[in-house]
Amino acid sequence: MTEYFTRFSSRQRIEHACVGLLFIVLAVTGLTQESFPMHWAEWMILAMGGIDRVRWIHREAGIVFTVFVIWHLGTGLWQVATGRARPSIVPTRKDFKDAIMMLRYYLRLSEEHPRFGRFDYRQKWEYWGMLIGSIVMIVTGFMLYFPVLTTRFLPGEIIPAAMMAHGREGLLAFLVVITWHLFNAHLSPEAFPFDPSIFTGKIVRERMVKEHPLEYEESLAKSEEERGASPSSGTDHPE
Amino acid sequence: MGRKLTGFVGFVVLLVAAVTVLAPSSAHSAALPGEALSNDVCLACHGDPSASTKLGNGKTLSLYVDHKALAGSVHAGLACTDCHSDITTIPHATRTFPDEHAVSLAFYQVCKQCHFAEYSRLLDDVHYAALAKGNQNAPTCVDCHGSHAIAPPAQPRSRISKACARCHTAIAAEYVKSVHGKALIEHGNNDVPVCTDCHRAHDTANPLSASWHLQIPQLCASCHANKQLMAKYGISTEVLTTYLNDFHGMTATLERTEKARPREFTATCTDCHGVHDIQKVNGAGMLAIKENLLTTCRKCHTDASANFPSAWLGHYEPSLRHSPLVYAVKVFYAVFIPFVIGGLVLQILLHLWRAVVNR
Repeated sequence: MTEYFTRFSSRQRIEHACVGLLFIVLAVTGLTQESFPMHWAEWMILAMGGIDRVRWIHREAGIVFTVFVIWHLGTGLWQVATGRARPSIVPTRKDFKDAIMMLRYYLRLSEEHPRFGRFDYRQKWEYWGMLIGSIVMIVTGFMLYFPVLTTRFLPGEIIPAAMMAHGREGLLAFLVVITWHLFNAHLSPEAFPFDPSIFTGKIVRERMVKEHPLEYEESLAKSEEERGASPSSGTDHPE
Repeated sequence: MGRKLTGFVGFVVLLVAAVTVLAPSSAHSAALPGEALSNDVCLACHGDPSASTKLGNGKTLSLYVDHKALAGSVHAGLACTDCHSDITTIPHATRTFPDEHAVSLAFYQVCKQCHFAEYSRLLDDVHYAALAKGNQNAPTCVDCHGSHAIAPPAQPRSRISKACARCHTAIAAEYVKSVHGKALIEHGNNDVPVCTDCHRAHDTANPLSASWHLQIPQLCASCHANKQLMAKYGISTEVLTTYLNDFHGMTATLERTEKARPREFTATCTDCHGVHDIQKVNGAGMLAIKENLLTTCRKCHTDASANFPSAWLGHYEPSLRHSPLVYAVKVFYAVFIPFVIGGLVLQILLHLWRAVVNR
C-alpha cells in the first residue's frame, strides 16, 4: 500500500488554485494588451469582446489579486508571529550552499546531492520571485489604473515607465511559468507527467524521502517522540 | 415587286436625312423633334450679355452664356442640349423659378447622366443629406464646380479650399492661418492637404461622428507616415507608430474595429494638435501645444495635475535623452528577462542531462 505524507494544507491548496486561476485571467487579458500591434493579439482582444471589456476584466482581476496577496502575506506573517507556522519558505544560508552543491552535482564535480528540507532552494526562489514580481505588478498596475492620482505626487514620466515595467514584468512572469513551473510540475523526470501534491495535498513516501529528506527525518523524529509520549496517537501522517 | 417598294422607301429616308443634315441652321428656323440644336442657335440669344429673367423673389437671373468661357471649359466639346436636354425646339418654353437655389436644384441632376459614379457617392454625403432634408443652403454640383466655365477642380489645388470657403467662412479663416493652409495659400505648396483630402469630395462624411474621430490617425498618416514626403520637411514618420503603440492609439485602433459603438472618445491627433488651426510643432507652435496640453488632457482627465501631461512622451521613443527613466526600465528588462529565463533553461538542461547520466 502506498504511504502518503501531508504536504499542503487545504488553505494552501485553495490559495494555489486561486493564484493559478487569477494568473491565467491576468495573463490572457494582459499579454494580449502588451503584444497588441500583433495580429493574434488584436484578434484575441476582439474575440474577448473588445478593448474596453478586456481592460475591465484585467483591472477587476488585478483588484482581486491585490486583495489576495495582502491576505496571503497578512495571514502568513500572523501565523509565523504567533508560532502557528514555521517560516520554512524563508531563504537561509543553507539554500545558497545547496545551490552551489547542486551545480557541482550537475557538472559531475561532485557526486553528493544536497539534502533538502520542506522547500528546496528552487522552490524558494520561485516563491520569492513570484511574490516580488506580484508586488511590482500591483504597484505599477495601480499607477496605470489611476494615472491622474499618481501624477499628483510623482512626475508624469512615471506612467510610461510603469507601463513598460508592468508589461515586461508580466512577460517575465509568463515566461517563468511556461518554462520553469511547467518543467518542475509536469516535465521533470521526478514529476512527469503531473505532480498532484498541490491539488491533493499529499506526497508519496518515496518522493518525500528523495526530495525532502530533512523534512522526512524531522517528521519521523517527531512522530517517534509523540509515540513515546502517548502510544495511542501514533501516526505516519505528520504535518 | 415587294423588293422594289422597300428600295424606294429606303431612298426617300436617305434623301430626307441628307437634306436635314445639310440644311443650313438658322436661329429662327424651327428644329425638328429629335434633332440636336447647335450651340450657335442657343448663343444667338444667350450670347447677349443683357439676356436675363426675373426670379420669383424679385432678383434678376442672368441668362448670358460667355461662349469663350464655354469654349475654355472642360466641356468645350459638348453641345448646349447635351446638358439642357429638355430644350428640343426653338423657341423653347419659358420656366419660372422662385430663387437661385431652385435653379441649381433644377439643373444639377443633369450632371449624373455622365458623372454617375460621383452622383452615387453623393448618396453618402452630408451635403446631400442636408439637401434631402430641405436645407436651402446645401450645395449642389454647380455650387462647387461652376456651370458653364467648369475647369478641372484641382488646378490649382487651392481652388478646392477656396470653393469650400464660400460657405465655410469661419473654418476657412482658421485654415489659412494653419501650417497647412498657409503653405497652400501663401506659398502655393501642393503637398499640404486641401479640404477634400481629409473630408473627401462627393461623399463628405460627418466629421463629428465617433467613427470619423477614431480614423483620424489613419487620415493624418496618409501623409505623415509617408517617409519620402515627410523627409522634405524634416518631419519624423515615427509620429504614427509612437501614437498607435501608446494607450490612446491602441484604444482608437481597437474601438474602430469593434462592432459596438465606442463608449467614449479617446484622444487622437486633432485633440492635441488642433483641427483646422494645426500649427508647426517646433518654435512657437511647440510652446503653444505644451501650454495647451494640460487643458487638452483635462478634456477627459478632469482632475489632471500639472505633472500629468508629461506622461505622454511627445512622440519620442524612450532614449537616454528623452525619458531616461522609461529607457532605463526598458534596458533593465532587456537584460534581466534573458538572464532569468536563460538561467532557468540552463538549469533544466543540466537537470535532464544529470538524470540521463544517472541511469
